[in-house]
Amino acid sequence: MASNDALKASLRIAGSGLETQSARLRIISENIANAQSTASVAGGDPYTRQTITFEDTLDRASGVELVRVREIGRDSSPYRVEQDPGNPAADDKGFVKLPNVDVLVELADLREANRSYEANLQVAKQSSDLMNQTVGLLKDI
Amino acid sequence: MSDVYLFKLASQRTGYLSTRQTLIAENVANANTPGYKAVDLKPFAAALQETAISMAVTNPAHLTPTAQELDPPRVREADAANATVSGNSVNIEGEMVKLGEVNRDYSEATNLKKIFHQMFMQALK
Repeated sequence: MASNDALKASLRIAGSGLETQSARLRIISENIANAQSTASVAGGDPYTRQTITFEDTLDRASGVELVRVREIGRDSSPYRVEQDPGNPAADDKGFVKLPNVDVLVELADLREANRSYEANLQVAKQSSDLMNQTVGLLKDI
Repeated sequence: MSDVYLFKLASQRTGYLSTRQTLIAENVANANTPGYKAVDLKPFAAALQETAISMAVTNPAHLTPTAQELDPPRVREADAANATVSGNSVNIEGEMVKLGEVNRDYSEATNLKKIFHQMFMQALK
């Protein structure tokens, strides 16, 4: 009984991992999609890159450590500035503020999120596989 | 009624492996959590040795702890050399290797259970 609970708990943990990693993928895709989003008013601030951090949290019901999103923050690094007087978002001197998103950084982060997602998926698959093995003992009795 | 020793041992083995699987799941889920330290269990043989010791019963009124269940303690892996800048010490590749180990050992234990059962059936039929 207890061993089956442990396997169920590991499924839940892997599930929480998948959830947070997919939240991370969402943030990354928002950043990439908005990599060129300028302000809607002349001279205004463009899209600000979002960041995501995780924390471990004790699930009191099962006594295991799940993971959850701690905070979705904003990157405080400076915006890129370009000289483009024809742009509707340009200020009176012709400078346009562009988002502080570096697509290369986002792609590297995407790869890492992808890898972590796969690892969690592998754990989930194996947990259910182990449960099936135990249930399979009853097959040819 | 006491458990048949072979079955009890095999159950303890699968119990141990399930707990280890849970810890691997925790480590993998927290692979990107700042400050998280990876956890693992002591090897099965060591954990079994420790739980084999029980209190002596010199009087029928003595209560024996029913917790003969194998409940091995968690060990924080103090492997600071692998820790990232954020203080996280999870190594996903290492966890995947452990996952394979658990899978093999679990198959072994369940197959053993099956074989024990067949042995009993041979005697009975």
